[in-house]
Amino acid sequence: MKNHIKISILFLFVLMGCEDFLDIAPTAAVSSGNYFVDDQQLETGVIAMYDAIQGVNSTSTSDNHSIQYEFYITEMRSDNTRTKSSEGEAAQFESYTIQSTNGIVLDYYRSMYNVIYRANLVLENIDVASDANRDQFEGEAKFVRAYAYFNLVRLFGDVPLLDRVIGPEDEALSFTRTSTADVYSLITSDLQDAVAKLGKVSINRASKAAAQAMLAKVYLTQGTNYVEAQQLLEAIIGTEYSLEDDFRDVFYSESNDEVIFAIGYLPDLTSDSQNFSSEWLNAVGRTSGVNYVTTEAREALDNLGGARTQYSYRQDQRQPTEYQVVKYLPDGDESLGIPATSTDPTLAGNDWIVIRYADVLLMHVEAIMAGANETSSGSAISSFQQVRSRAGITTPVATITKEDLLNERRVELAFENHRWFDLVRLGVARDVLSAFSAANNYSFSDTDLLLPIPQAEINLSKGLLTQNPGY
Amino acid sequence: MTTKNNKAFLSVLMGVIITSILTSCDFTFELPEEGSIPDQTPPTASFSATQNDTDFLQYDFSNLSNSATTYLWDFGDGNTSTDLDPSNTYPAEGTYTVKLTASDNLGVTDTYEAVIEVIEPEAPPAIIPNILEAGFEDNSLPDGTGDGRDSWRNDFGGVIQITSSPVHEGSQASKFPSAGDRIAYQEMEVSPNTDYILTYYYTLKTDNPGALTVTVLGGGISDLSEVAGATLAAFEGTDQTDADAYVRVELPFNSGANSTMAILITNQGVEARADALSIDLAQ
Repeated sequence: MKNHIKISILFLFVLMGCEDFLDIAPTAAVSSGNYFVDDQQLETGVIAMYDAIQGVNSTSTSDNHSIQYEFYITEMRSDNTRTKSSEGEAAQFESYTIQSTNGIVLDYYRSMYNVIYRANLVLENIDVASDANRDQFEGEAKFVRAYAYFNLVRLFGDVPLLDRVIGPEDEALSFTRTSTADVYSLITSDLQDAVAKLGKVSINRASKAAAQAMLAKVYLTQGTNYVEAQQLLEAIIGTEYSLEDDFRDVFYSESNDEVIFAIGYLPDLTSDSQNFSSEWLNAVGRTSGVNYVTTEAREALDNLGGARTQYSYRQDQRQPTEYQVVKYLPDGDESLGIPATSTDPTLAGNDWIVIRYADVLLMHVEAIMAGANETSSGSAISSFQQVRSRAGITTPVATITKEDLLNERRVELAFENHRWFDLVRLGVARDVLSAFSAANNYSFSDTDLLLPIPQAEINLSKGLLTQNPGY
Repeated sequence: MTTKNNKAFLSVLMGVIITSILTSCDFTFELPEEGSIPDQTPPTASFSATQNDTDFLQYDFSNLSNSATTYLWDFGDGNTSTDLDPSNTYPAEGTYTVKLTASDNLGVTDTYEAVIEVIEPEAPPAIIPNILEAGFEDNSLPDGTGDGRDSWRNDFGGVIQITSSPVHEGSQASKFPSAGDRIAYQEMEVSPNTDYILTYYYTLKTDNPGALTVTVLGGGISDLSEVAGATLAAFEGTDQTDADAYVRVELPFNSGANSTMAILITNQGVEARADALSIDLAQ
């Protein structure tokens, strides 16, 4: 009996000691709880957000490839590109037979939430920032978070909305789909804040102009606030940004004045390079060739591209019946005067342009059109004409129809992941894609306008996360 | 002893299992309803409808049904379809009940109904900006009050004066004494990106050189320093041939990215009068 009492007392001590023991911060390791002390660490957190957008250059299916895989779920779902050989899950996109188990869809979904997590982490620790840097860091984090949600909401519809760092106990939050309207309201308020707070550090980081252009696109996508959108765009027009004289230089003279926001990549470094450029070639990357140019896109470029056409697509020398994208070539093209960006094409250094000035000018036309079917406003025509003149098309126009605008965007921004969103935003996705699908024996239906919520996420949610119709 | 018993037990168990397998074969003789499981994934019907951009009578239907293989649409105007995502052109404006019946291969069905109202969307007509007290007349505000300049008061300068001679029309006009410290300012609604013409009449005294400047501003201003950045159009009137004869000015402007505009009237160096402002669409 005596012994028992002694033992109990001993346990008591041990239990009491536990609390202090658990509270001790590790001294030999870094944890997220004690990492952020001042600007220096917070800036690494800011850089980490862009790192998440950049994605991992690998062929492993367990890595987040982020925007390196974006072309699959945007351009290859449009009438611009397809796989070369209709192989594997990549071919589900062109034929509109996407399965909820598609690994590329899952990869992108998780990548965007990784971006959001890193942005939320910066925002949660924003108090450690100095007064001089707080606005810039906060603006960048809000821009990045809005960017990720804008991609998610346009691709998946209602998605879980996380505006703070979550833990393992926040299951309901991480698997409950929030209405598109609520997601857009966070996107809008984040971008409004970003516009107010941001300056400019580099084109590879969020700037005021990038936030203005992004917010304008958000308004155009919602079909509201056209006047505000126009004001935002006019705040960029006529400032430090301008069209490159030579269309080729937009892509091959990096950090030029036309680029407003680009995801930066560095050549020949596994940690900072990209592999999408090599995947677009004939069996240079892991695939036999993806993002190959469709007959429809070639036709549009031949008819309307002007000087842009030769820098947009070319014949595949190894397989002359097929055509490749010329933008973002990793290994150059001597006949076009394009140098290689890296010694190893799978470790390409080409930056990915998210927003450029030509897009701003064409959005300006769209804002003035304000949902109507045409415009003959002088300032719309002036913006439209600037883009065309650079391509050597100088015939003046008196009116711009919605179709003119859509075609111009198609040939100006071909293979830059705009086409899908343009078709949806301008309300013609169903008409254009069902005609395209019928001509190519694909199986488009209206529910293909949203991607499936990845089955792996639904499984993890134990049924909380619901699937989109048609999957 | 235990080993033997176990063996015996096992063989009995085996016997039971075999028997049960054999007996379970009997189900082939059962009727389909008995012992068969119910449809675990019955269809759910749903759709959304979008009015066509160019033909307002046409609606595009998007099928949002689950677990169904065949569809029957009743558009409510007598037309039907079995397409997945059909379109229907309605005969006229009106209210129609659209019914979608979705069926699966087991013949289980679900229906979904929605009412759509086919209405020609109104193209909003361009706003004609409404200038209050445009002729500086007493009691000319919509509610029948006003001293002819109430709508023109502001914090940028002193309130303008009212004159009864000379006037261009009515019995009053605005007067800006030669000191140039009185300012007329008024904000109003406008349609964006629209071409307008502002018409007004002014006259200047001839004793000193000077001018009357009318400026059209995009949006409103809170300080005169913002004028330069907000100016859509401006005209500096310097015609001093006759102090009693009003000069007509037509000032064209495009409203640009603005849903409000303002008119700002100032004078420089000489007593000036302005009267009868109006805005109309260009052409």
